[in-house]
Amino acid sequence: MKSVQWIFVPILVVASSLTLLYPNFAERELELAVRKEFNQLPEETRKDLLSNFAERWKTDYNPKGDWQIEPDPSVFPEQDYYLVKGRFITSAKINQLSQENQELILEPKNKLRPTLVEEYIFGGRPLAIRLGLDLQGGMRVVLKGDFDDYTSKLKDSYTKEIEELTKKKADVALSEKERKEAQDKLKEIESYFELTPGRKLAELEKAKLIIDNRLTNQNLTEPQVRIQKDQDSIEVSLPGVSNSSQILDIIRNTETVEYRLREPSDSNANSRGIYHDAIELEEMKLMNQGKREETEIVRFQNIVKQKLGKDEQDKFLEAMEKKYNIPEKYKLYVKWSRANNPKASLLPREFVVLERAISLDGKDMRNARESYDQNRLTYYVSFSLTSQGAEKFFDITSKNVGRQLAIVWGDKVISDPVIRSPIAGGNAQIDGEFGQKEATDLANVISEGALPIPLNVLEMRFIGPTLGIESIEVGLKAVLLGFALVIVFMLVIYRLSGLVADIALLVNVIVLMALLSLMGFTLTLPGFAGIILTVGMAVDANVIIYERIKEELAAGKHVSAAVAQGFENAFWTIMDSNVTTLISGILMIKLGNGPIKGFAITLCWGIITSLFTSLFLSRMIMDLLVNKFGVRKLRIGFKKLESKNV
Amino acid sequence: MFDFIKYKYVSISFSLILIAIGFGVTFGKYGGFATSLDFDGGLRAVVEFPKNVERKNLEEYFSSKNLEAVLVLMDKDKNDYQIDIGLGSVDQIKELYLQKKGKDSIEAKQASAIDALIGLLQEDFKLEKKKILSANQVGSVVGAELTSTGISLLSLTLFFIMIYLSFRFQFKFALGAILALIHDLVITIAFIGFFQIKPSVPIIAALLTLLGYSINDTIVVFDRIRENAGNLRDAFSQIINISINQTLARTFNTSVATLISVVAIIIGGAVELYDFAYVLTFGIILGTFSSVFIAAPLVDIYDTLSKRWKRS
Repeated sequence: MKSVQWIFVPILVVASSLTLLYPNFAERELELAVRKEFNQLPEETRKDLLSNFAERWKTDYNPKGDWQIEPDPSVFPEQDYYLVKGRFITSAKINQLSQENQELILEPKNKLRPTLVEEYIFGGRPLAIRLGLDLQGGMRVVLKGDFDDYTSKLKDSYTKEIEELTKKKADVALSEKERKEAQDKLKEIESYFELTPGRKLAELEKAKLIIDNRLTNQNLTEPQVRIQKDQDSIEVSLPGVSNSSQILDIIRNTETVEYRLREPSDSNANSRGIYHDAIELEEMKLMNQGKREETEIVRFQNIVKQKLGKDEQDKFLEAMEKKYNIPEKYKLYVKWSRANNPKASLLPREFVVLERAISLDGKDMRNARESYDQNRLTYYVSFSLTSQGAEKFFDITSKNVGRQLAIVWGDKVISDPVIRSPIAGGNAQIDGEFGQKEATDLANVISEGALPIPLNVLEMRFIGPTLGIESIEVGLKAVLLGFALVIVFMLVIYRLSGLVADIALLVNVIVLMALLSLMGFTLTLPGFAGIILTVGMAVDANVIIYERIKEELAAGKHVSAAVAQGFENAFWTIMDSNVTTLISGILMIKLGNGPIKGFAITLCWGIITSLFTSLFLSRMIMDLLVNKFGVRKLRIGFKKLESKNV
Repeated sequence: MFDFIKYKYVSISFSLILIAIGFGVTFGKYGGFATSLDFDGGLRAVVEFPKNVERKNLEEYFSSKNLEAVLVLMDKDKNDYQIDIGLGSVDQIKELYLQKKGKDSIEAKQASAIDALIGLLQEDFKLEKKKILSANQVGSVVGAELTSTGISLLSLTLFFIMIYLSFRFQFKFALGAILALIHDLVITIAFIGFFQIKPSVPIIAALLTLLGYSINDTIVVFDRIRENAGNLRDAFSQIINISINQTLARTFNTSVATLISVVAIIIGGAVELYDFAYVLTFGIILGTFSSVFIAAPLVDIYDTLSKRWKRS
């Protein structure tokens, strides 16, 4: 490492780290989107809402006046947003603003404008370090399990069986014994619909696990999910979530994967079912009149595009079911596809009428995996069936050859192939117009399982940090004070070498923070603990090195030889001690959850950065000092140690 | 040069006495560790109090009843308070409710802890039912997760560190390091019990930090022993002693530097982080102590014993 050119490596690393950290400190712009519907409210209400917003802006949201808002919060903006400018706009604050002014601000459309760095390097992805619930507050949501819906869905899946058994029970042609059997079976099935507290709890436990997984997949490091047993509910704490409704959708997503048969087509070769044809006819009529915008499918697409929510979609479909007199036996769904262009977005394209009875559900499927089809240039999902599922699948496919069997993912029909022949063997695959992400998502839903119960929001609350803003500020000051004292300590003890160590220490913290923000890590108190330990380990590494150099100098070696030897001797010591800590860190990430994981992530990255700074950066600077700048005396400790044979 | 090996039995006995005192006081005097809502679960109620009730009044109320409650002001305008009461006070609450309602009250006898708490608050503050905004028995977040994963996590960690150290050093070093680590953990837990520090997320973080620090410290000493062991003129115990002395300056400086940053938390007045800082301060001193007085001497003891076994 004698070559001077190498100095560009650390300079480059520091420069890019500072660039990465820039969005954390830069002045930022936030678009607070306003609701268009606001203007339809009575004038009195509008005035109240605006003056309340203006009042709270001064007292609660921005008491110190650090931020600017345009236009004045007492005025409804002409554009469809307020523009807030300032530093340190936290997602907790954005949440608070949106949650407390729901009639004015439309949260899903709020936008923190990307800084130049984010815009050009990361394509608009936000880069700021997120703070955990314990540091900045966040959302706490209590979700209540909807067991009524659960049972009605459960009943759907037994519709056919119940129907058959009821018939059997009443069939006089059958023997007494057979009728008795049917009756017993019926009773057994009915008992499935009765939920004991124990069963409810088991379902909640399942839901908790799945929510945990989903949140982890959303890059949320420390969500807390816990069951409130006596309320049949699940409490979710979301630290620093900037878009609560989106996350809420993900949590509540009861996405299931089900097979349902399509309504049978009648004898006419072009027919795809009475109700389907009726809808299509209506659409054709409008199309022919040039009223494409008025067709139901386009109207439905608009609901989806405007993100009006699932409730709106359901309402729309219900209205259609009424309009076309679709009987109770069937249910209206929408098929989503990409039209002709494989790059187009997945949109609802066609209404389909499916049987209400579920032919095969997620419980029957397992081990799903996404794969790429070389020939068709698209992804598909293959899975295996449980033995019971395989039986059912064979039964359905053999009885319904020629009919279409639709795969419903969530509430979307993603494919509805025609059954050509009975399928046995327990393996199957789902073809749809999948991109890789969708295929992975679908495979996850099948493997992870669907949320067993639908969840309703019982309580949604913005919560303040457990420590309070003031104590965080005090805590932060304390940490900075400690850091400064360590720096002074190193300078006093190791003089010039201490300065080198201090530079290494600073670089270490900067690089670590940059890495964490690059990963979208959520920083919490335990995370802070990890950083403190990292600082400790980085100091330690430098101390080990200097003590070694000191020994070499005391043994009478030349400065440059002593430095080289010192680093060499210290290398494995530092490696060994760091690798052992890294081992425990990695295990904590793999096995631990919540606070342990947050701590371990900072620790592991901290070890990697401190290895870089102490073994590479420190060494390079020392080399430069000794070999290029001709430093001949190193004062390490209070004794002045000079090499004897200068 | 100080002879650390000579006093190994003194230092090990000292540790054992510390452990005995710590756990003795924890279980003898306090009947176990302090409870906390995060760890053990408990009761949580959000209540809208009349405007004239202030935090001070509430604190007095709960302490006069000998109930440990954590109060969080949720909404200043409405005077909403969140009251957290640990499981430790559940019996006390039921008892109080029974006293209030009269010994024969069937209602009070059958009341669950949360009902009892609501009942008490309603009576004592003359609250309407609707002023109790929510009341739940909450489960533990940290405790349940940690007890289930903690033990397997710890044993796996120890196992892998053991493999790494056996590979890089020798089995006796691995054993010494692991025992020293367990030693640190046990004493720190005894410390937490002795001072009845409430287990919480920051405390867990402190324990984990300590684990990392302690291993690190021990390895540095071991590394030096290994290096010096090539020099076989000296007896093994002598080598250990020389190595500890050689690394003493480093051990001391590192500990001081780390201590500075932790003590700054206490000096800086970050009250909520005090427990964290106390545990860490104690842990760092202990970790330093164990790497000098416990880990290496244990290796020496094992070495002596194994030689004796071989001879016999």
